[in-house]
Order: sequence, then C-alpha cells, then structure tokens
Amino acid sequence: MSMYMKAGIRMTSAEIVVIGAGVIGTSIAFRLAESGRQVMMIDRNGIGAATSSACDKAIFLQSKRPGLHMDLARESRNMYNTLEEELGQSVEFKGAGGTVAIHTEQQMLFMKKFVHDQTQAGINVSLLNQKEAKEQQPILADDIIGASYSPDDAEVNPLKLSQGFATAAKRLGVEIMTHTEAIGIEKSNGKVTGVKTSKGVISTETVINACGPFASSIARFSGVPMNIKPRRGVILISEKVDPIVNGSLLDAQYIAAKHLSGQQPEYGIGLSLGQTDSGNLLIGGSREFVGFNKHVHSDVLHAIAYHACKVVPALTNIRIIRSMVGFRPFTGDGLPIIDRSEQLRGYILAAGHEGDGIALSPITGCLVRDLLNGGGPTSRFLPHLTSDRFKEKTLL
Amino acid sequence: MDCVICRCEEVLLSDIVRAIEDGYTSHREIKLKTRAGMGICQGRTCRLLLDQVIASVSQGPVPKTIGIAPNVPIRPIMLGDLAKGGGKAK
Ligand SMILES: Cc1cc2nc3c(=O)[nH]c(=O)nc-3n(C[C@H](O)[C@H](O)[C@H](O)COP(=O)(O)OP(=O)(O)OC[C@H]3O[C@@H](n4cnc5c(N)ncnc54)[C@H](O)[C@@H]3O)c2cc1C
Repeated sequence: MSMYMKAGIRMTSAEIVVIGAGVIGTSIAFRLAESGRQVMMIDRNGIGAATSSACDKAIFLQSKRPGLHMDLARESRNMYNTLEEELGQSVEFKGAGGTVAIHTEQQMLFMKKFVHDQTQAGINVSLLNQKEAKEQQPILADDIIGASYSPDDAEVNPLKLSQGFATAAKRLGVEIMTHTEAIGIEKSNGKVTGVKTSKGVISTETVINACGPFASSIARFSGVPMNIKPRRGVILISEKVDPIVNGSLLDAQYIAAKHLSGQQPEYGIGLSLGQTDSGNLLIGGSREFVGFNKHVHSDVLHAIAYHACKVVPALTNIRIIRSMVGFRPFTGDGLPIIDRSEQLRGYILAAGHEGDGIALSPITGCLVRDLLNGGGPTSRFLPHLTSDRFKEKTLL
Repeated sequence: MDCVICRCEEVLLSDIVRAIEDGYTSHREIKLKTRAGMGICQGRTCRLLLDQVIASVSQGPVPKTIGIAPNVPIRPIMLGDLAKGGGKAK
C-alpha cells in the first residue's frame, strides 16, 4: 500500500471533477482553473501514464484533411507558440517542420491531390522532387520519388506536456489525485451529484470524462452510452543516436492508412519517425482494431521494422531497445467528442482524439472551458463536436 | 549523500526522491518523470534499487514492480534483424 492509499481521501467536494490525467484531462484542468473554477482531477494510474506516454510526438498539420479537422489542428498548433511561457516550463516544443516521403507513383497521385487541397485551405505545404526530398531528409532511401514538406509541422515531448499542464494546474489550485479510479457516477433527478472513486466519494455537480480510449467505461456508469473504440498502435524505440531526423517524418503509406478506409496495408503499417531530445528514435507504426489487447504478435513488430528499413535504410543497424503499445481513442470520423450530455446534466465528454491528441491537447482545454463558461474564442467549433453527429449519420 | 540510481540515464537518488515527493509514486510514474529505467538496459540494472527507494521514501513494503511491464524485445536488437524476423536470424 502506498502512502496515498493509507491516507485515503477525505469525503470531499469539488466544483468540477476531471476524470483522466492524460494530455487531454490535464489541459482541461489547467484552463478551467485559469478561468477561476475549482477543479479536482483524478486518474486511476498516474499523470500521462496511459495513451499519452505510448505515442509519437508529432504535431502534424499536413496530415489533416482540410476543413474542420485542419482548422482545429491549426488553431491548436498556434497555441503551442506561447504554451511553454504560460506553463512556466519547457515541453520540448520545436517547430522543426515535417516531411511525408512518397515512394510509389500511386502515392504521388494521392499526395498531389492531398497537397493541392491543403494549399487551397491555406496550409503552408509544398511538394518536393526526389533531390529536394533527400536534401530535406538525407536519411531517406535513394528510391524515394519525392516528398511533401511543411515548415509548420512541429513536435513536443508528450510526457512533458501532461506533466507541464498538471504542474501548472496544481499551481492554480487544482487538486490532483493519482491512483484513484472512478468506479461510478452518482446522480439524482437527471443530474450529476458526485463521483464514486476507489478512495471515496467526491461530491460535485460537474464531471468531465477525459478518459481517452477508456471513456466508454465511464460512459457506462453514467448511463449515457457512447462508442469510442481503441485503435491499437505499436512503436519501436531505439537506443540513443546522434540527431538524424529533421523534424518529423511520415510516409505516404501512413497518410493512406490514416485516411483511406478501403485499401488498408496489413496491420495498418505506415512509417512515422521522430527523435526525442535525448536521442532515442520513435519508429512507428501500426493501426489495428484488436480491443485492449497489449500482447503484440511478433509479425506486427517485423512488419514495422521491415517497412522502416525500406523507407529509411540508415535505420537498419540501429538497435531497438523496446516497443510501446498504445490505444488511440477512435470515434469514427477522426474528431473528438466535446459535448455535454442531454440525458444527464453536469456530465461532459471530452475524448476521442484518435491519433491527434497531442496535436489537439492545447485547444481541447480551451474548448471545454468555453463549453462550460459559454462564449469564448473556440466556441465556434463546439457545434461540430457533439455526440449526436454520429446519430445523424446513421439516420441518413 | 547523493548517488546514481539509473546509470543509463544518469538519474540521481535525489531526482527520484523529489519525484516521489511531488506525488509520482509508482515505478511507471517515476520512470516517465525522471527517465529512470528508460535507457539501453531498460531497468535491468536499476529496477530493484528503484523499488527499494520507493519503499523507503513511502515507508511501505517493496513494490512488486507491476508498473514496468517487461517489454519486447527482451534484449536490444538491430532494426534490420527485426525486419528479417528476429534475433534468431543473427
Ligand atoms: C501509437 C500512437 C501514436 C500516436 N502518435 C501521435 C502523434 O504523433 N501526435 C498526436 O497528436 N497524437 C498521437 N497519438 C494520439 C494520442 O496519443 C492520443 O490521442 C492522446 O494521448 C489521448 O489522450 P487522452 O488524455 O485522451 O487519453 P489518455 O492519455 O489515455 O488519458 C486517459 C486517462 O484516463 C485514465 N482513466 C481511465 N479510466 C479511468 C477511471 N475509471 N478512473 C480514473 N482514471 C481513468 C487513464 O489512466 C489515463 O491516464 C498517438 C497514439 C498512439 C497510440
């Protein structure tokens, strides 16, 4: 038993309880506290210890579809410019640009259209020929036929991100309780009255479900059903090596795996490559629907390694020290649900960022703040992030 | 007196004690916060030491390290070998 278990929690109350302390919950807790709310944040594990520490570090704009998705990502990306100052600490944010490598003529056709649409939408992205692509990323294979490049893509250390939001939130008075699991929602007359936890009851009228891929289990207690599915991803981590990647690198197969639902490569394999400040390479990745199964078949690891060596032969002699398994919170349309429940007053859902939770973390805190306080600079997005958008689709 | 707990990532005892005092109590949380156990040996050297530090600071029993799951690959392996179908091929 840890010292926190022994102490237990007092029967306590809060104006708002945030369940989940990943990059999403911590961002929400920080923005709510900043706007003067009294917030308690609980997590059954630790800060950022689930999906938000089993992911890549890319803040990609050029991988987004033009439209709402792009607008959200762009606004969130801009928030990163001032975030470290606001949090009072580094999150290892770097605007080092992003490259998408193209190796087949078929991919080139797809990417030409994709880049065209993005340029139309005002994204700073350009198509590079083979020589330019190799100049931008010298580690790319010689048979690469081109790439797209955006100087606006960026990266961040996701561990530092949730820790940074949590530390800043704490400074603003947020009480954080880790190793505290939500096991029920108390309600009366269609309204939330409290959160039952593994350490006691917290009475509150407002609860925010920020449990990412695990959000559906909280939804079950609340009696407000929703469907966020885990989409498993695996990443290989290398030993420390000298800097060899400029910014973030994807390949067009990754973009295809992300956006084309029809012709998926096996295990949803596509290259994602980034390098941490400490020198470790993050080599991804896969996209699969296998529930919360953490046991990765070795075929998936071989497939990721094989594909990575093909696009970046320079990786062949680099040693892999471990692998990471995470579950992207999948809603179906690539966008999160940020909405209050119609059925249960005081119950708010803020989850489902799929493969973009790191990129969308800054804006999500503001979205939830604006949802609760009314008005605000991000409120124009909220009508598009409701949970009934899925109902409408099935009716049509 | 301070000393090194994780040699791969050069994490000091004082770094770990500070993390525990900041509320990062489990093995996994301490790893995410300080990088202890994240290096090339993946905690094979420091895991037991780290458990003892956690136990002594929190004055509880030595944890069973459920937080750090053993991970594939068990030993470092070249990406090229993994691509071929694993370490056996070497
Ligand atoms: C392989 C992979 C690569 C990725 N790469 C990128 C990338 O490059 N860029 C990007 O933008 N995004 C990326 N993502 C997506 C991103 O990681 C996620 O969208 C994001 O981390 C989700 O954050 P979250 O806070 O919603 O969820 P989580 O981090 O999972 O947080 C939810 C928290 O809720 C807690 N919880 C669950 N149930 C309970 C309960 N009953 N009581 C209390 N607490 C509970 C959990 O312990 C957890 O800490 C990637 C994801 C994966 C899997």
